[in-house]
Amino acid sequence: MTDLVDQPERGGSPEGRDVRPRTREEVVELVELAFDYRGDVTVELAAGRKIEGYVSNRNTGAPRPYLDIIPQQAQEIVQIPYDEIVAVTFSGEDTAFGKSWHEWMSKHESQRRAEAERVEQEARSRGLL
Amino acid sequence: MAVPVSQMYTVSKYVLTQKWKGVKRYPLVLMLEPLFRCNLACAGCGKIQYPDHILDKRLTPEQCWAAADECGAPIVSIPGGEPLIHPEMATVVRGLLERKKYVYLCTNAILLERKLDEYEPSKFLTFSVHMDGLRDEHDHAVCRDGVYDVAVRAIRAALARGHRVTTNTTLFDDANPERVRAFFDEMMELGVEGMMLSPGYSYQKAPDQEHFLKRDRTRQLFSRILGNRKRGWRFNQSPLFLEFLMGKREYQCTPWGNPTYNVFGWQKPCYLLQDGYVKTFQELLDGTEWERYGTGRNEKCADCMVHCGYEASAVEDTFGSWSGFGRTVKSTLLPNAR
Repeated sequence: MTDLVDQPERGGSPEGRDVRPRTREEVVELVELAFDYRGDVTVELAAGRKIEGYVSNRNTGAPRPYLDIIPQQAQEIVQIPYDEIVAVTFSGEDTAFGKSWHEWMSKHESQRRAEAERVEQEARSRGLL
Repeated sequence: MAVPVSQMYTVSKYVLTQKWKGVKRYPLVLMLEPLFRCNLACAGCGKIQYPDHILDKRLTPEQCWAAADECGAPIVSIPGGEPLIHPEMATVVRGLLERKKYVYLCTNAILLERKLDEYEPSKFLTFSVHMDGLRDEHDHAVCRDGVYDVAVRAIRAALARGHRVTTNTTLFDDANPERVRAFFDEMMELGVEGMMLSPGYSYQKAPDQEHFLKRDRTRQLFSRILGNRKRGWRFNQSPLFLEFLMGKREYQCTPWGNPTYNVFGWQKPCYLLQDGYVKTFQELLDGTEWERYGTGRNEKCADCMVHCGYEASAVEDTFGSWSGFGRTVKSTLLPNAR
Protein backbone atom coordinates (compact mmCIF):
# COMPACT_ATOMS: atom_id res chain seq x y z
CA MET A 1 0.00 0.00 0.00
CA THR A 2 2.69 2.47 0.98
CA ASP A 3 4.30 1.79 -2.39
CA LEU A 4 1.09 2.94 -4.03
CA VAL A 5 1.31 6.40 -2.58
CA ASP A 6 5.04 6.84 -2.25
CA GLN A 7 6.26 9.37 -4.79
CA PRO A 8 10.01 9.82 -4.60
CA GLU A 9 9.84 12.73 -7.00
CA ARG A 10 7.55 14.47 -4.49
CA GLY A 11 9.76 13.67 -1.53
CA GLY A 12 7.36 10.94 -0.50
CA SER A 13 4.33 13.22 -0.44
CA PRO A 14 1.12 11.51 -1.56
CA GLU A 15 -0.26 14.79 -2.93
CA GLY A 16 -2.43 14.21 -5.97
CA ARG A 17 -2.72 10.45 -5.57
CA ASP A 18 -6.01 8.59 -5.72
CA VAL A 19 -5.81 5.40 -3.64
CA ARG A 20 -8.33 2.56 -3.64
CA PRO A 21 -7.65 0.09 -0.85
CA ARG A 22 -8.37 -3.57 -1.47
CA THR A 23 -8.29 -4.95 2.05
CA ARG A 24 -9.23 -3.81 5.54
CA GLU A 25 -5.54 -3.53 6.44
CA GLU A 26 -5.04 -1.24 3.48
CA VAL A 27 -7.92 0.94 4.62
CA VAL A 28 -6.30 1.28 8.05
CA GLU A 29 -2.97 2.15 6.48
CA LEU A 30 -4.56 4.61 4.08
CA VAL A 31 -6.42 6.41 6.85
CA GLU A 32 -3.19 6.72 8.84
CA LEU A 33 -1.60 8.32 5.81
CA ALA A 34 -4.56 10.68 5.39
CA PHE A 35 -4.37 11.60 9.09
CA ASP A 36 -0.66 12.42 8.75
CA TYR A 37 -1.29 14.45 5.61
CA ARG A 38 -1.23 18.24 6.08
CA GLY A 39 -3.69 18.93 3.30
CA ASP A 40 -7.28 18.20 2.37
CA VAL A 41 -8.31 14.83 1.04
CA THR A 42 -11.42 13.62 -0.76
CA VAL A 43 -13.00 10.51 0.69
CA GLU A 44 -15.24 8.49 -1.60
CA LEU A 45 -17.90 6.45 0.19
CA ALA A 46 -19.51 3.18 -0.82
CA ALA A 47 -22.79 4.98 -1.51
CA GLY A 48 -21.01 7.12 -4.09
CA ARG A 49 -20.90 10.29 -2.00
CA LYS A 50 -17.64 12.25 -1.82
CA ILE A 51 -16.51 14.41 1.11
CA GLU A 52 -13.56 16.77 0.80
CA GLY A 53 -11.88 18.07 3.91
CA TYR A 54 -9.13 17.70 6.50
CA VAL A 55 -8.77 14.42 8.37
CA SER A 56 -8.38 15.62 11.93
CA ASN A 57 -8.55 12.32 13.80
CA ARG A 58 -9.29 8.63 13.56
CA ASN A 59 -10.34 5.96 16.00
CA THR A 60 -9.30 2.40 15.31
CA GLY A 61 -10.24 1.27 18.81
CA ALA A 62 -13.96 1.94 18.35
CA PRO A 63 -16.31 -1.04 17.76
CA ARG A 64 -16.74 0.38 14.26
CA PRO A 65 -13.51 2.28 13.45
CA TYR A 66 -14.00 5.71 11.94
CA LEU A 67 -12.18 8.83 10.84
CA ASP A 68 -13.09 12.45 11.60
CA ILE A 69 -13.07 14.84 8.69
CA ILE A 70 -13.59 18.61 8.78
CA PRO A 71 -15.26 19.48 5.47
CA GLN A 72 -14.02 22.61 3.72
CA GLN A 73 -17.37 24.40 3.85
CA ALA A 74 -18.66 23.22 7.21
CA GLN A 75 -17.93 23.69 10.90
CA GLU A 76 -19.13 20.30 12.07
CA ILE A 77 -16.88 17.25 12.03
CA VAL A 78 -18.16 14.34 9.95
CA GLN A 79 -17.43 10.79 11.09
CA ILE A 80 -16.84 8.22 8.37
CA PRO A 81 -16.72 4.53 9.29
CA TYR A 82 -13.75 2.71 7.77
CA ASP A 83 -16.05 0.12 6.19
CA GLU A 84 -17.69 2.82 4.05
CA ILE A 85 -14.43 4.07 2.53
CA VAL A 86 -13.93 3.18 -1.13
CA ALA A 87 -11.11 5.58 -1.99
CA VAL A 88 -9.09 8.50 -0.70
CA THR A 89 -7.69 11.14 -2.99
CA PHE A 90 -4.98 13.44 -1.66
CA SER A 91 -6.68 16.32 -3.40
CA GLY A 92 -5.43 19.35 -1.48
CA GLU A 93 -1.97 20.87 -1.39
CA ASP A 94 0.47 19.16 0.99
CA THR A 95 1.12 22.27 3.08
CA ALA A 96 4.02 20.67 4.97
CA PHE A 97 5.91 19.64 1.86
CA GLY A 98 9.39 21.19 1.69
CA LYS A 99 8.91 23.13 4.94
CA SER A 100 11.50 21.50 7.19
CA TRP A 101 14.43 23.48 8.58
CA HIS A 102 16.91 21.44 6.54
CA GLU A 103 14.97 21.94 3.33
CA TRP A 104 14.80 25.67 4.01
CA MET A 105 18.55 25.78 4.62
CA SER A 106 19.28 23.85 1.44
CA LYS A 107 17.44 26.37 -0.73
CA HIS A 108 19.22 29.05 -2.65
CA GLU A 109 19.17 32.49 -1.03
CA SER A 110 17.05 33.92 -3.86
CA GLN A 111 14.49 31.11 -3.41
CA ARG A 112 14.33 31.79 0.32
CA ARG A 113 13.88 35.50 -0.24
CA ALA A 114 11.09 34.95 -2.79
CA GLU A 115 9.29 32.56 -0.45
CA ALA A 116 9.65 34.93 2.50
CA GLU A 117 8.24 37.80 0.44
CA ARG A 118 5.29 35.67 -0.66
CA VAL A 119 4.50 34.77 2.97
CA GLU A 120 4.77 38.43 4.02
CA GLN A 121 2.46 39.56 1.20
CA GLU A 122 -0.07 36.92 2.12
CA ALA A 123 -0.03 37.97 5.80
CA ARG A 124 -0.40 41.60 4.76
CA SER A 125 -3.35 40.86 2.49
CA ARG A 126 -5.09 39.09 5.36
CA GLY A 127 -4.53 42.09 7.62
CA LEU A 128 -2.24 40.18 9.96
CA LEU A 129 0.63 42.64 9.93
CA MET B 1 15.59 36.04 40.40
CA ALA B 2 13.87 35.17 37.09
CA VAL B 3 10.60 33.79 38.41
CA PRO B 4 8.64 35.79 41.01
CA VAL B 5 8.39 34.20 44.45
CA SER B 6 4.58 34.11 44.28
CA GLN B 7 4.73 32.03 41.12
CA MET B 8 7.34 29.70 42.58
CA TYR B 9 5.20 29.31 45.68
CA THR B 10 2.06 28.52 43.63
CA VAL B 11 3.83 25.94 41.49
CA SER B 12 5.60 24.35 44.48
CA LYS B 13 2.36 24.12 46.43
CA TYR B 14 0.58 22.61 43.45
CA VAL B 15 3.27 19.97 42.82
CA LEU B 16 3.56 19.04 46.48
CA THR B 17 -0.22 18.75 46.74
CA GLN B 18 -0.27 16.37 43.77
CA LYS B 19 2.45 14.31 45.37
CA TRP B 20 0.69 14.27 48.73
CA LYS B 21 -2.48 13.08 47.01
CA GLY B 22 -0.48 10.35 45.26
CA VAL B 23 -1.31 11.62 41.77
CA LYS B 24 1.06 9.81 39.41
CA ARG B 25 0.50 11.99 36.36
CA TYR B 26 -0.32 15.64 36.73
CA PRO B 27 -0.06 18.57 34.32
CA LEU B 28 2.23 21.48 35.02
CA VAL B 29 1.72 23.73 32.00
CA LEU B 30 -1.32 23.71 29.74
CA MET B 31 -0.23 24.38 26.17
CA LEU B 32 -3.25 26.19 24.79
CA GLU B 33 -3.20 26.65 21.02
CA PRO B 34 -6.20 28.85 20.21
CA LEU B 35 -5.38 28.97 16.48
CA PHE B 36 -2.74 27.80 14.03
CA ARG B 37 -2.70 30.89 11.81
CA CYS B 38 0.53 32.90 12.01
CA ASN B 39 1.84 36.08 10.40
CA LEU B 40 5.28 34.52 10.01
CA ALA B 41 6.34 31.26 8.42
CA CYS B 42 9.51 30.38 10.30
CA ALA B 43 11.74 27.71 8.82
CA GLY B 44 11.45 24.49 10.75
CA CYS B 45 8.11 25.35 12.35
CA GLY B 46 5.76 22.42 12.01
CA LYS B 47 2.83 24.09 13.68
CA ILE B 48 1.20 26.12 10.96
CA GLN B 49 1.08 23.90 7.89
CA TYR B 50 -2.63 23.36 7.38
CA PRO B 51 -5.22 24.13 4.71
CA ASP B 52 -6.77 27.59 4.95
CA HIS B 53 -10.09 26.43 6.38
CA ILE B 54 -8.22 24.87 9.32
CA LEU B 55 -6.02 27.95 9.78
CA ASP B 56 -9.23 30.00 9.98
CA LYS B 57 -10.48 28.00 12.96
CA ARG B 58 -10.17 29.48 16.45
CA LEU B 59 -10.97 28.29 19.93
CA THR B 60 -13.58 30.46 21.62
CA PRO B 61 -12.78 32.08 24.98
CA GLU B 62 -15.22 29.64 26.61
CA GLN B 63 -13.39 26.66 25.10
CA CYS B 64 -10.06 28.05 26.35
CA TRP B 65 -11.36 28.57 29.88
CA ALA B 66 -13.01 25.15 29.96
CA ALA B 67 -9.71 23.53 28.95
CA ALA B 68 -7.86 25.41 31.71
CA ASP B 69 -10.50 24.41 34.28
CA GLU B 70 -10.52 20.81 33.16
CA CYS B 71 -6.76 20.45 33.13
CA GLY B 72 -6.06 22.30 36.37
CA ALA B 73 -2.41 23.17 35.61
CA PRO B 74 -1.22 26.30 37.44
CA ILE B 75 0.47 27.67 34.31
CA VAL B 76 -1.08 28.25 30.89
CA SER B 77 1.20 28.83 27.94
CA ILE B 78 -0.50 30.21 24.83
CA PRO B 79 1.51 29.46 21.70
CA GLY B 80 0.04 28.99 18.24
CA GLY B 81 0.09 30.17 15.49
CA GLU B 82 0.35 33.75 16.60
CA PRO B 83 -2.06 34.29 19.52
CA LEU B 84 -2.31 38.05 19.00
CA ILE B 85 -4.04 37.43 15.66
CA HIS B 86 -6.97 35.95 17.61
CA PRO B 87 -9.56 38.74 17.84
CA GLU B 88 -10.65 37.64 21.33
CA MET B 89 -7.23 36.95 22.80
CA ALA B 90 -7.47 39.70 25.45
CA THR B 91 -10.78 38.19 26.60
CA VAL B 92 -9.21 34.74 26.71
CA VAL B 93 -6.34 36.05 28.82
CA ARG B 94 -8.64 38.00 31.18
CA GLY B 95 -10.64 34.85 31.88
CA LEU B 96 -7.49 32.89 32.63
CA LEU B 97 -6.18 35.60 34.95
CA GLU B 98 -9.51 35.58 36.81
CA ARG B 99 -8.82 31.89 37.39
CA LYS B 100 -5.43 32.84 38.89
CA LYS B 101 -3.51 31.04 36.17
CA TYR B 102 0.01 32.18 35.38
CA VAL B 103 -0.29 32.94 31.69
CA TYR B 104 2.62 32.99 29.25
CA LEU B 105 1.39 34.56 26.03
CA CYS B 106 3.92 33.46 23.40
CA THR B 107 4.19 35.97 20.60
CA ASN B 108 6.49 36.99 17.78
CA ALA B 109 5.68 40.55 18.94
CA ILE B 110 4.83 41.86 15.47
CA LEU B 111 1.40 42.95 16.75
CA LEU B 112 2.34 43.40 20.39
CA GLU B 113 2.88 47.14 20.51
CA ARG B 114 -0.44 47.72 18.73
CA LYS B 115 -2.32 45.41 21.12
CA LEU B 116 -0.76 46.46 24.43
CA ASP B 117 -3.73 48.67 25.36
CA GLU B 118 -5.88 45.56 25.60
CA TYR B 119 -3.82 44.07 28.44
CA GLU B 120 -3.45 45.20 32.05
CA PRO B 121 -0.09 44.48 33.66
CA SER B 122 -0.37 41.63 36.13
CA LYS B 123 1.97 39.34 38.01
CA PHE B 124 -0.04 36.52 36.42
CA LEU B 125 0.60 37.64 32.83
CA THR B 126 3.89 37.36 30.95
CA PHE B 127 4.54 38.16 27.31
CA SER B 128 6.95 35.49 26.15
CA VAL B 129 8.54 36.94 23.05
CA HIS B 130 9.98 34.67 20.42
CA MET B 131 13.62 35.66 19.88
CA ASP B 132 15.95 33.20 18.20
CA GLY B 133 19.13 35.21 18.55
CA LEU B 134 20.72 38.49 17.61
CA ARG B 135 19.28 40.51 14.70
CA ASP B 136 20.84 38.48 11.87
CA GLU B 137 20.09 35.09 13.39
CA HIS B 138 16.56 36.00 14.42
CA ASP B 139 15.53 37.55 11.11
CA HIS B 140 17.05 34.56 9.35
CA ALA B 141 15.17 32.10 11.59
CA VAL B 142 11.82 33.82 11.11
CA CYS B 143 12.50 34.31 7.40
CA ARG B 144 11.80 38.05 7.39
CA ASP B 145 14.04 41.08 7.72
CA GLY B 146 13.21 43.64 10.36
CA VAL B 147 11.31 41.40 12.78
CA TYR B 148 14.07 41.54 15.42
CA ASP B 149 13.85 45.34 15.56
CA VAL B 150 10.05 45.23 15.78
CA ALA B 151 10.26 42.72 18.64
CA VAL B 152 12.85 44.75 20.55
CA ARG B 153 10.68 47.86 20.23
CA ALA B 154 7.64 45.92 21.47
CA ILE B 155 9.57 44.48 24.41
CA ARG B 156 10.65 47.96 25.44
CA ALA B 157 7.06 49.22 25.18
CA ALA B 158 5.69 46.31 27.21
CA LEU B 159 8.34 46.71 29.90
CA ALA B 160 7.69 50.45 30.06
CA ARG B 161 4.05 49.71 30.87
CA GLY B 162 5.02 47.37 33.67
CA HIS B 163 4.39 44.06 31.97
CA ARG B 164 6.35 40.93 32.70
CA VAL B 165 8.34 40.02 29.58
CA THR B 166 10.47 36.97 28.89
CA THR B 167 12.05 35.67 25.73
CA ASN B 168 11.75 32.18 24.28
CA THR B 169 14.52 30.92 22.07
CA THR B 170 14.74 27.81 19.94
CA LEU B 171 18.25 26.75 19.02
CA PHE B 172 19.24 24.35 16.28
CA ASP B 173 22.55 22.52 16.09
CA ASP B 174 24.08 25.12 13.81
CA ALA B 175 23.81 27.91 16.40
CA ASN B 176 27.00 29.82 17.17
CA PRO B 177 27.55 29.65 20.96
CA GLU B 178 29.41 32.97 21.14
CA ARG B 179 26.63 34.75 19.26
CA VAL B 180 24.02 33.13 21.51
CA ARG B 181 25.91 34.34 24.58
CA ALA B 182 26.05 37.83 23.12
CA PHE B 183 22.29 37.55 22.54
CA PHE B 184 21.77 36.72 26.24
CA ASP B 185 23.74 39.84 27.16
CA GLU B 186 21.57 41.92 24.87
CA MET B 187 18.30 40.53 26.26
CA MET B 188 19.43 41.13 29.82
CA GLU B 189 20.42 44.66 28.91
CA LEU B 190 16.99 45.11 27.39
CA GLY B 191 15.55 44.31 30.80
CA VAL B 192 13.53 41.14 30.25
CA GLU B 193 12.63 39.19 33.36
CA GLY B 194 14.20 35.97 32.12
CA MET B 195 14.97 33.84 29.11
CA MET B 196 13.66 30.45 28.06
CA LEU B 197 15.64 28.06 25.88
CA SER B 198 14.88 24.92 24.02
CA PRO B 199 16.56 22.88 21.32
CA GLY B 200 14.65 22.62 18.06
CA TYR B 201 12.76 19.46 17.32
CA SER B 202 13.16 17.73 14.02
CA TYR B 203 11.70 14.36 13.28
CA GLN B 204 13.75 12.40 10.82
CA LYS B 205 13.64 8.75 9.98
CA ALA B 206 17.31 8.24 10.57
CA PRO B 207 19.19 5.29 12.09
CA ASP B 208 19.65 5.20 15.86
CA GLN B 209 23.32 6.13 15.71
CA GLU B 210 22.36 9.33 13.96
CA HIS B 211 19.92 10.10 16.74
CA PHE B 212 22.55 9.56 19.41
CA LEU B 213 24.92 11.85 17.60
CA LYS B 214 22.21 14.44 17.36
CA ARG B 215 21.50 14.37 21.10
CA ASP B 216 25.21 14.54 21.71
CA ARG B 217 25.53 17.56 19.46
CA THR B 218 22.68 19.23 21.33
CA ARG B 219 24.44 18.64 24.64
CA GLN B 220 27.73 19.97 23.29
CA LEU B 221 26.02 23.06 21.96
CA PHE B 222 24.27 23.86 25.23
CA SER B 223 27.41 23.12 27.24
CA ARG B 224 29.26 25.70 25.20
CA ILE B 225 26.42 28.19 25.52
CA LEU B 226 25.66 27.72 29.20
CA GLY B 227 29.10 26.77 30.51
CA ASN B 228 30.84 29.49 32.51
CA ARG B 229 27.50 31.26 32.78
CA LYS B 230 27.49 34.97 33.43
CA ARG B 231 26.06 36.02 36.78
CA GLY B 232 23.67 38.49 35.20
CA TRP B 233 21.86 35.98 32.99
CA ARG B 234 18.42 35.01 34.23
CA PHE B 235 16.52 32.01 32.94
CA ASN B 236 12.81 31.59 33.38
CA GLN B 237 12.96 27.83 33.64
CA SER B 238 14.15 24.99 35.82
CA PRO B 239 17.93 25.05 36.42
CA LEU B 240 17.92 21.27 36.29
CA PHE B 241 16.41 21.40 32.81
CA LEU B 242 19.33 23.57 31.72
CA GLU B 243 21.70 20.98 33.20
CA PHE B 244 19.82 18.31 31.26
CA LEU B 245 20.41 20.25 28.05
CA MET B 246 24.11 20.43 28.92
CA GLY B 247 24.25 16.66 29.41
CA LYS B 248 24.88 16.91 33.14
CA ARG B 249 21.85 14.76 33.92
CA GLU B 250 19.53 12.28 32.23
CA TYR B 251 15.77 12.44 32.27
CA GLN B 252 12.98 10.48 30.67
CA CYS B 253 10.21 12.46 29.01
CA THR B 254 7.12 13.56 30.94
CA PRO B 255 4.70 14.14 28.05
CA TRP B 256 1.65 14.63 30.31
CA GLY B 257 3.44 17.52 32.05
CA ASN B 258 2.58 19.96 29.24
CA PRO B 259 -0.70 18.74 27.76
CA THR B 260 -1.87 20.43 24.58
CA TYR B 261 -5.37 21.61 23.72
CA ASN B 262 -6.20 23.06 20.31
CA VAL B 263 -8.93 23.28 17.67
CA PHE B 264 -8.83 19.49 17.25
CA GLY B 265 -9.16 18.68 20.98
CA TRP B 266 -6.65 17.27 23.49
CA GLN B 267 -3.59 16.17 21.56
CA LYS B 268 -2.02 12.74 22.14
CA PRO B 269 0.61 12.42 23.47
CA CYS B 270 2.32 15.81 23.63
CA TYR B 271 2.82 19.26 22.17
CA LEU B 272 5.03 18.03 19.33
CA LEU B 273 3.59 14.69 18.30
CA GLN B 274 0.12 14.26 16.88
CA ASP B 275 -0.94 10.69 17.41
CA GLY B 276 -4.61 11.56 17.78
CA TYR B 277 -7.11 13.67 19.70
CA VAL B 278 -9.61 13.10 22.48
CA LYS B 279 -12.46 15.17 23.82
CA THR B 280 -11.53 15.37 27.50
CA PHE B 281 -8.37 15.78 29.53
CA GLN B 282 -9.25 12.67 31.54
CA GLU B 283 -9.47 10.67 28.31
CA LEU B 284 -6.01 11.96 27.42
CA LEU B 285 -4.60 10.83 30.76
CA ASP B 286 -6.37 7.47 30.80
CA GLY B 287 -6.32 6.60 27.11
CA THR B 288 -2.76 7.44 26.09
CA GLU B 289 -0.21 4.64 26.08
CA TRP B 290 2.41 6.80 27.77
CA GLU B 291 4.96 3.97 27.88
CA ARG B 292 5.20 4.18 24.08
CA TYR B 293 6.76 7.64 24.24
CA GLY B 294 10.10 9.08 25.29
CA THR B 295 13.75 8.56 24.50
CA GLY B 296 14.53 4.96 23.59
CA ARG B 297 10.85 4.09 23.30
CA ASN B 298 9.76 5.78 20.11
CA GLU B 299 11.65 6.72 16.97
CA LYS B 300 9.92 10.09 16.87
CA CYS B 301 11.19 10.86 20.36
CA ALA B 302 14.79 9.84 19.78
CA ASP B 303 16.23 13.31 19.17
CA CYS B 304 13.84 15.25 21.36
CA MET B 305 15.16 17.22 24.33
CA VAL B 306 12.47 19.87 24.15
CA HIS B 307 11.18 21.71 27.22
CA CYS B 308 7.58 20.55 26.75
CA GLY B 309 8.68 16.99 27.51
CA TYR B 310 11.65 17.41 29.79
CA GLU B 311 11.11 20.53 31.88
CA ALA B 312 8.34 18.76 33.78
CA SER B 313 10.81 15.90 34.37
CA ALA B 314 13.25 18.40 35.88
CA VAL B 315 10.53 19.83 38.12
CA GLU B 316 9.61 16.30 39.17
CA ASP B 317 13.27 15.75 40.05
CA THR B 318 13.26 18.90 42.18
CA PHE B 319 10.25 17.85 44.20
CA GLY B 320 10.81 14.08 44.11
CA SER B 321 13.39 14.00 46.89
CA TRP B 322 15.40 16.16 49.25
CA SER B 323 18.48 15.46 47.14
CA GLY B 324 16.63 16.69 44.04
CA PHE B 325 15.63 19.82 45.90
CA GLY B 326 19.24 20.26 47.00
CA ARG B 327 20.46 19.88 43.42
CA THR B 328 18.05 22.58 42.35
CA VAL B 329 19.17 24.99 45.05
CA LYS B 330 22.81 24.31 44.23
CA SER B 331 22.24 24.75 40.51
CA THR B 332 20.37 27.99 41.11
CA LEU B 333 23.00 29.51 43.37
CA LEU B 334 26.07 28.01 41.73
CA PRO B 335 25.20 27.44 38.07
CA ASN B 336 28.84 26.92 37.08
CA ALA B 337 29.64 24.33 39.76
CA ARG B 338 30.55 20.86 38.48
